[in-house]
Amino acid sequence: MIHIQDVSVAYPKGIQALSGVDLHFERGEFAFITGASGSGKSTLLQLIYRELEPTRGQVIVDGHDVSQLPRHRVPLLRRKVGVVFQDFRLLPMQTVWENVGFALDVIGATKRDKHHRVPLVLELVGLADRADAYPDQLSGGEQQRVCIARALVNTPPLLLADEPTGNLDPVISLNIVQLLCDIADRGTTVLCATHDTHIVDAMQRRVVALVQGVVVRDEKTGGSYDAA
Amino acid sequence: MRLNTAQFLISQAWSAILRNGAITGAAITNISVALCVLGVFVLTAYNLQAQAMQQAAAVEITVDLAKDAKRAEVEKSLRANERVKAVRFVPKAEALEGLAQRWGLDFSTLSRVGNPLPDAFRVVPVKPDDIEAIAEQAEQIPGVAEARYAQQTTTKLLKLARGIKLAGLVAVIILGTASLLLVSVTIRLTIYARRREVRIMQLVGATNWFIRWPFLLEGWFQGTTGGIVATALLLPGYAYLASLISSNLGFIRPVQSTELMVALGIGLVLMGSLFGVLGSLIGLQRYLQEV
Ligand SMILES: Nc1ncnc2c1ncn2[C@@H]1O[C@H](COP(=O)(O)OP(=O)(O)OP(=O)(O)O)[C@@H](O)[C@H]1O
Ligand SMILES: [Mg+2]
Repeated sequence: MIHIQDVSVAYPKGIQALSGVDLHFERGEFAFITGASGSGKSTLLQLIYRELEPTRGQVIVDGHDVSQLPRHRVPLLRRKVGVVFQDFRLLPMQTVWENVGFALDVIGATKRDKHHRVPLVLELVGLADRADAYPDQLSGGEQQRVCIARALVNTPPLLLADEPTGNLDPVISLNIVQLLCDIADRGTTVLCATHDTHIVDAMQRRVVALVQGVVVRDEKTGGSYDAA
Repeated sequence: MRLNTAQFLISQAWSAILRNGAITGAAITNISVALCVLGVFVLTAYNLQAQAMQQAAAVEITVDLAKDAKRAEVEKSLRANERVKAVRFVPKAEALEGLAQRWGLDFSTLSRVGNPLPDAFRVVPVKPDDIEAIAEQAEQIPGVAEARYAQQTTTKLLKLARGIKLAGLVAVIILGTASLLLVSVTIRLTIYARRREVRIMQLVGATNWFIRWPFLLEGWFQGTTGGIVATALLLPGYAYLASLISSNLGFIRPVQSTELMVALGIGLVLMGSLFGVLGSLIGLQRYLQEV
C-alpha cells in the first residue's frame, strides 16, 4: 500500500527532517510512528498525502509515485487518504456536522448519504450531541475528535493520524486508538504518529521509531521505546 | 457537475456572502463607484461626440449649376447617391435674397444691379463623415460648376468627434483595467482572509474547481450587484441633469435617448459581472498555485 524508498526531506535553511528512510506498509496494516518532538513524524505523514515532496527518494502510495502525480490527480490521492491533522485544521465558520460533511461534499456524495454517515461517525467519536457547535466552542480534545470523524467519514483505504490522542484523557485516548486498530482490522491501512508510550505499550502493534529523521527501529509488534 | 455539488457550491457562496457582509459591501461599493466613473465618462464622451456630429450635420453642400445645366438631370444624379439625405433646389433669386439678408442690404436695389449668383442645389448628407466624398462626386456630374461646403469647420468638427471617440475608448480601457484590478484586489482580500480554509479544502481532497466555484459565484454576485447599483445611481442622475441642462441652457442639447440608457445599463451590469468573475479568477490564481 505504501512504499517509502530511500526518502530524505530537507527543509530550507538546511534542516534535515528525514534521511534515508525505507519503510513499507501493507494493506490493512496498523503501525505506530514514534519519536521525540521534531524527529520527523509529521514530515513522514505529510509525504504520503503530498503536502510535502521528498528531496530525494520515492513515495509510492497505492501504486502511484506521489511526486510524479500530475496536479489534477492530487485531490484524488487525498480522497483516498483520511488525515487526522496534528493541528486539527477544522473550518472555523462551519459547525461540527458541516466540517465532517465537508469531506463528503468534496466527493459529491448525496444528501441522503451524508445524513446517513455523518451522524454515524459523530456517534463513533462520541460527539453526536455537539453536532451543531462551532470549532471554537469545543475543547481541544473535542476538536481532535471532530478531525478524526472527518478523516473516517468517507471510509478511505488509508488513514493517517498525527498525534490523534494528543489532547485526550487516557481513557478516551485508549478508546480512540482501539477504534483505529479496529478500522485497520477491517482492511484500512492506519499509520498513527504518537509519543504516548502507554498507548504503544498497550496495543502491542508494529512500531517504527524515528530519531532525528532516521528510522532506528521497526518491529512487527512491541512496546514503546524498550528496545531502542 | 452533479446537482448535489452545484447546490452545495451555491449555498457555500451564498453563506460566504452573508458572513463576510462587510467585505462584500466594500467590494460592491468599489465596483459600483468604478462603474459610475466609467459611466460618467462614457456619457460625457457620447454627448460631446453627439454635439460635434450635430454641428457637422448642419453643414450642407452647395452645388452650383453651370449656365447651361439641365436642372432635372443634375437633381436626379444627386438623388441617386445613397449617401445623400436631402436635396433642395435654390434658385439664384432666392440665393441673392439670402445674401442680401445676411449682409443687411436691400434686396430690390441689389437685384437691379444684376444677379451674379448661379442656380444651386443644397445637399444634406446622411452622415457628416461623407460630406467630402459627396462634394467630390457632385463635381463629376455634368452641368455642375462647383460643389462647396464649409470645409474647415466641418473637418474640424469631424476630427473633434473622432478624437473624442478615441479618447473615450482609451479612457474606458484604462478605467476598465483599473476597476478590474480593484475587484481582483478586493476578492484577493476575501480569499486571503480564507486562505487557511482554502488550504484545508485542498487537503481533504477538493479539486481547484470545487474551491473556485463559490468564489467565482461570489465575485459574480458582487460585480452584478455593483453594476446594478451603478446603473440605479447613474441613469436617473443623468436623466435629471440632462433635463435641467436642456431647459436652462437651450444651446446645449444633451442626448436623451431611451436606447442609450438601456444600452448603458445593460453594459454596466454585464461589465460588473465580467469584472467580478475575472477579478476572482485573477485573485484566486495565486492561492491555487500550490497543491
Ligand atoms: N515547514 C518547515 N520548515 C522548516 N522546518 C520544518 C518545517 N516543518 C518541520 N520542520 C522541522 O523538521 C523537523 C521535523 O519536524 P516534524 O514536524 O516532522 O516533527 P514531529 O516528529 O512531527 O514533531 P512533533 O512530535 O513535535 O509533532 C523539526 O526539526 C522541525 O523543526
Ligand atoms: Mg508532528
